[in-house]
Amino acid sequence: MPVEVNHPSSELVDHLFRTSAGQMVSHLTRLLGPEHLDLAEEVVQDSLLKALQLWPHSGVPDNPAGWLFRVARNAALDAVRHRGLTVEKAPAVTAEILRGALPSVNDVTELEEQLRDDELRMVLMCCHPLLSPDARAALSLKTVGGFSVREIARAFLADEAAISQRLVRAKRQIRELKIRFELPTGRDLVARLDSSLEVLYLMFNEGYAALSGEELVRQELCREALRLAQLLAASSVGIPTAAALVALMAFQAARLPARVDAGGELVLLEDQDRALWDQGLIALGFHHFSMCAEGEAITPYHVQAAIAATHARAQNGEDPDWRMILEYYDQLMELGPSPIVALNRAVALSKVENAAAALSALDPLAHEPALKHYYLLPAVRGQMLVQVGDWEAASQCFREALERPCSEPERRFLQRKQAECRALTEGPRI
Amino acid sequence: MSQYLLLLYDNPANWKNFSPADMQKAIEKYMAWRAKLQNQGILRGGQKLADDVGKVLRSGNPAVRVTDGPYSETKEVLGGYFLLEAPDYPTAVKASRDCPHLEYGGTIEVRQVDDSVPNR
Repeated sequence: MPVEVNHPSSELVDHLFRTSAGQMVSHLTRLLGPEHLDLAEEVVQDSLLKALQLWPHSGVPDNPAGWLFRVARNAALDAVRHRGLTVEKAPAVTAEILRGALPSVNDVTELEEQLRDDELRMVLMCCHPLLSPDARAALSLKTVGGFSVREIARAFLADEAAISQRLVRAKRQIRELKIRFELPTGRDLVARLDSSLEVLYLMFNEGYAALSGEELVRQELCREALRLAQLLAASSVGIPTAAALVALMAFQAARLPARVDAGGELVLLEDQDRALWDQGLIALGFHHFSMCAEGEAITPYHVQAAIAATHARAQNGEDPDWRMILEYYDQLMELGPSPIVALNRAVALSKVENAAAALSALDPLAHEPALKHYYLLPAVRGQMLVQVGDWEAASQCFREALERPCSEPERRFLQRKQAECRALTEGPRI
Repeated sequence: MSQYLLLLYDNPANWKNFSPADMQKAIEKYMAWRAKLQNQGILRGGQKLADDVGKVLRSGNPAVRVTDGPYSETKEVLGGYFLLEAPDYPTAVKASRDCPHLEYGGTIEVRQVDDSVPNR
């Protein structure tokens, strides 16, 4: 019986398992081929499970990620050799796994580069235009993101079975359509990048909508979307638009800690304590914002990043340059008019002109089908009516907003506003 | 002071649907528990057992029978052990009580090593 006890190594790096899982699945999918994505996922899951069963007893190995990789690669190799798996160029795969299983110290940078490249290809594969749009984000999260089906379901407020089905269908499509793991070129590459950026933007917004602690997994979406967008922006196929998206996400993510106060109550942008904004993310945002200006094209991501940058430039207690922001919203309306943009533009308009002007701008949106379930339309209208002193109509707006889906902190905010308006309507007039 | 063996049983299927993040969290909990015992100076050892079912030897006539382990029908398997040094059972049980193994649906059997005849 061994008397000696291994001393546990330092703690595990945050998100190590999730990140490693994504890297390993991407890596093994390149080696085994996209048709064996399930197998790649299976051996990766098994290697993590092995760690879970072994490390509590033996201690964490010196290089935990390397350990996981070695175990997963060996399992993959085993599958190729013994399960009679049809893998294209099986001997070459075996050779590469064997070679990669023992990376020399000098190869570490090379290996890291290879892994980043694998992840990039995986994102681009998951966002293939032939896959159904609702499967792309789920598949990206499952494979490169290292999320489980349950986590994806929670993040998208969807049913686990529905997500599961979506994934199964997408994997079948990959097999049947023989979608490759290679980097596309030319026009295909442009289409694939566009689709990828759209998926990451959606992923980020889903996460950003989360406000309370129990929705933490949704905020993980923001982190993952930002990480993958950075990966795209830094890659050889990176385009200025990817940098624009990184800038936009970084500025937005920087504000996450200030959006809810210590009591869990919603804090509006103009009331936020800017000292709470994450300065590292702000810096990341400005860095990518200058990078995105290098291209010729101006996309909605560029303009939205410009708006976020204008907010980020304002100091504590100071108004941002609303005139500038309004101009950007005008530009956004030209690039891609949408009811949501129009709604946000109205808020900027209220700052530059007044609430009455904003109310006129909101009127045409009243019957917009896209905003039918969007609580922010009546909520913003209510705010404007408060500013013009029409408490009764404002109260009615907040009541309407409360009938639409929103998060708990948002609900409490609306209830507070409605109560204030009611008190002003019914209370004694001075 | 006596030695106590903590036998950790669990059902591996319990872990099947754990996400990578869940697994990392579980490992961190185990490591924290382990570190606590180490700081208290009562941890003497511990190993994970291999994943196979093992072998069982039974006396028989005319020959000893060797079969595969006893786990083929049960879902819970003996996955590993820890060895503690503690003054009495209550102390050993108390140290085991906050082992994350229990939180994750496992079972811990605590057995005292009989040292009534000292080992040289």
